[in-house]
Amino acid sequence: MKTIIEPFRIKSVEPIYFTTKEERKAILEKAFYNPFRIHAKDVLIDLLTDSGTSAMSSNQWAGIMQGDESYAGSSSFFRFEESVKKITGMPLVIPTHQGRAAEKIIFTILGGKGKYFISNTLFDTTRANIEFSGAEGIDLVCEEGKHPTIPALFKGNMDVEALKKTILKLGATNIPMVIMTITNNSGGGQPVSMRNIKEASQVCKENKIPFFIDACRFAENSYFIKLRENGYANKSVLEIANETFSYADGCTMSAKKDAFANIGGFLAMRDLDLAIRCRNLLIITEGFTTYGGLAGRDLEAIAVGLQEILDEHYLQYRIRSIEYLTNKLIAAGVPVMQPAGGHAVYLDAKEFLPDIPVDQYPGQALVGALYEHGGIRGVEIGSLMFGKYDTDGKLIPAQLELVRLAIPRRVYTQSHIDYVSEVIIEVFNKRNEIKGLTIIEETPMLRHFTAKLKPII
Amino acid sequence: MKTLKQSWAEPYKIKMVELLKMTTQSHRRKAMSEAGFNTFLLKSEDVYIDLLTDSGTSAMSDHQWAGMMMGDEAYAGSRNFYHLEEVVKNIYGYKYLVPTHQGRGAENILSKILIKKGDIIPGNMYFTTTRLHQELAGGKFEDIIIDEAHDPENEFPFKGNVDLEKLEKLIKKYGAKRIPYVSMATSVNMAGGQPISLKNLKDLRALTKKHGIRVIHDMTRVAENAHFIQQREKGYEHKSIREIVKEINSYTDGATMSAKKDALVNIGGFLALNDWDVFEEARNMVVVYEGLHTYGGLAGRDMEAMAIGILESVNDNHIHARVGQVIYLGEKMIEYGVPIVKPIGGHGIFLDAKKFLPHIPQDQFPAQTLAAEVYLDSGVRTMERGVVSAGRKANGENYYPKLELVRFTIPRRVYTQAHMDVIAESVANVYGRRNKIKGMKMVYEPKYLRFFQARFEKLK
Repeated sequence: MKTIIEPFRIKSVEPIYFTTKEERKAILEKAFYNPFRIHAKDVLIDLLTDSGTSAMSSNQWAGIMQGDESYAGSSSFFRFEESVKKITGMPLVIPTHQGRAAEKIIFTILGGKGKYFISNTLFDTTRANIEFSGAEGIDLVCEEGKHPTIPALFKGNMDVEALKKTILKLGATNIPMVIMTITNNSGGGQPVSMRNIKEASQVCKENKIPFFIDACRFAENSYFIKLRENGYANKSVLEIANETFSYADGCTMSAKKDAFANIGGFLAMRDLDLAIRCRNLLIITEGFTTYGGLAGRDLEAIAVGLQEILDEHYLQYRIRSIEYLTNKLIAAGVPVMQPAGGHAVYLDAKEFLPDIPVDQYPGQALVGALYEHGGIRGVEIGSLMFGKYDTDGKLIPAQLELVRLAIPRRVYTQSHIDYVSEVIIEVFNKRNEIKGLTIIEETPMLRHFTAKLKPII
Repeated sequence: MKTLKQSWAEPYKIKMVELLKMTTQSHRRKAMSEAGFNTFLLKSEDVYIDLLTDSGTSAMSDHQWAGMMMGDEAYAGSRNFYHLEEVVKNIYGYKYLVPTHQGRGAENILSKILIKKGDIIPGNMYFTTTRLHQELAGGKFEDIIIDEAHDPENEFPFKGNVDLEKLEKLIKKYGAKRIPYVSMATSVNMAGGQPISLKNLKDLRALTKKHGIRVIHDMTRVAENAHFIQQREKGYEHKSIREIVKEINSYTDGATMSAKKDALVNIGGFLALNDWDVFEEARNMVVVYEGLHTYGGLAGRDMEAMAIGILESVNDNHIHARVGQVIYLGEKMIEYGVPIVKPIGGHGIFLDAKKFLPHIPQDQFPAQTLAAEVYLDSGVRTMERGVVSAGRKANGENYYPKLELVRFTIPRRVYTQAHMDVIAESVANVYGRRNKIKGMKMVYEPKYLRFFQARFEKLK
């Protein structure tokens, strides 16, 4: 059978509110052409993020009802801890209210001026947390990862040769951590191979640098390894995940992705001294060590979700639905990142809108067009998110100008996805009408969340 | 003629229950020793009645649970955020809202924005996490609560009041420029849940206004404070809790809120501000620490539960029953002759450990010892609020607070009158054999907020 069906049925629904194109035009203008400023009720299909937007299962909701809200020593914590240990094999588990809080803690302890954190590609909040501590972030994605439309199997890989050279150049003592992001989100949700994880880990071990995994989408990455890497076809996703984490000294995780939770995250590690320092900081900004700023019920939902994600029927359906949308767009000639990633479709805005220069933010312009035409909300991952200014105030653009359409887990059906592809193709056919944007207000850090823009006429 | 005691029957009935495990004495002995004689380190499944905190432990109403199902989990612009924003504006009267995952998230952001190195932050008694955030931002806390607050037996009705003379002295000594704000708590926790009066607050407002100093309100138990104003302050006996709450807030410039107390939720908090510039800075900072400013690190459903909880929290019948239950427990203990902080506060009973165990010196942790003893007796979990909680000064010396207390905090809408009876009987039991109880020594001490994770051993 060719058709892959969802390994679940729907138990509870949430209505979608319809808007007309004229209404959306006015909404977009009022939101200063920034999708983060649009009210959720004004969005038809919300592909802003796959983070925290999953539909929970009936088992997770049952867990929600069983949450133990005790301030200290909650039974929900112990179930959560066991679930994390089963996957990561790491003995020390610290809950946090989200992934960025886990990052904040680890970078506050290990970061600071003169330090460098190396990654395949750091995500926006990760980079912001590193820079906030005074340290610098360095991306060393492999060559294939830099070319959106050329397919390759593991475009999320780290360039291990470049890693060695960078360590030599900067000195191992100035590098408190190497972080492997799986899958590589900013690089298109592309997977990292086991071989690459192993090699990078080896280099870190030789240089006594802690090797951490940003594990938000560990299950999607594990499934890609199963599909694409020699020797893993007959291994279970859990076995592959176990092996992945076995090469690491620790991990950060936003449970809002591959744990089907609406809120939550954690830090896990092997080093007790580091864990004690993390816990001391945790109590100040997050909460006591057995709740970390989460309700007991959310610990339950994560504990259950982490096990559900390992189901291969689910992962097959998940990866194939992303592929389904990607292939529809490729067939219509729309420039998209290839091959399909694990959690999102990435439009290549530079090729989509070749007449709009990078300092007029083609990605953001495309985001606006998709909303206006079809009520679809995506997000720019390009020079608005990652661009910087040089000392003369001139824009230093990002490497890629992408628009990410992240697919929430278990939320939308095939007909929603068909609608999305129709809207994109329609916008592609009318792409000459799209205008560039200019910023009228911005903040120095993480500007894309709140910036105000207007079209250049 | 003495009036009859007013009954405080609950304005709700029970819709869902959570089963409890009864424990044996030998089980408790093992659990307590594994937890290093620190009640924070006990597993909740080893606890019978959990009075560790009233924070995040409330029973939500069926309306709140329905709101949980209406959570809009969109990353940006969730409708639950707009609902919460509207409720905060209407009920509390603050203009701008920044949601945070809990109260300490709001304290962290506020301290980082307003406090410069060398600043002085006067407040009506310290609170553990609040003071720590002030210190980490480079400020120094100065206590300006009235002296009566430090005397557990003084029955002054508003022991949470600010001593304005103390504040004036600080202003004279340091200059108003070095005082970014006065940190004013309603229902002062460390003093035993003691209220501040509206008259005192008005005077505080007048004085700070003269010097251009902001008043920032730690409003986590503002409704409970409003109840005491209604009961005790002239001119407010006919005003509703809702009116009094709004009036309290009107004399302040902003607030940090842990919604896990008054607002009847299991998680959530916010920073509320009237000043646009401070708000704008807070909104930018919240993205780094908490989450985008329309969710602040909370699930949409939790913002919805909070909005509904705030509305329920300012209901007169609710507060009347809430504080009524606390007073019921306190009066039982007084009947048994147990020394407690008076008058009885809004969210818990505070045992006076110095008087309970006069033979144990403060450096042998009488309150920590007493908390352990109560657990061993009946499986009731309480919290130390004395020398362990107070921590150390910047120079490494221990703070020796005047109050050495064990806090019995009552979760909202969770326990029944029969549970209260069991608690009082257990305390009376421990009181009966108090002379045989020995102190403890600390064997592990973390750097910050040591009370959470410290470990102890019994002295022989």
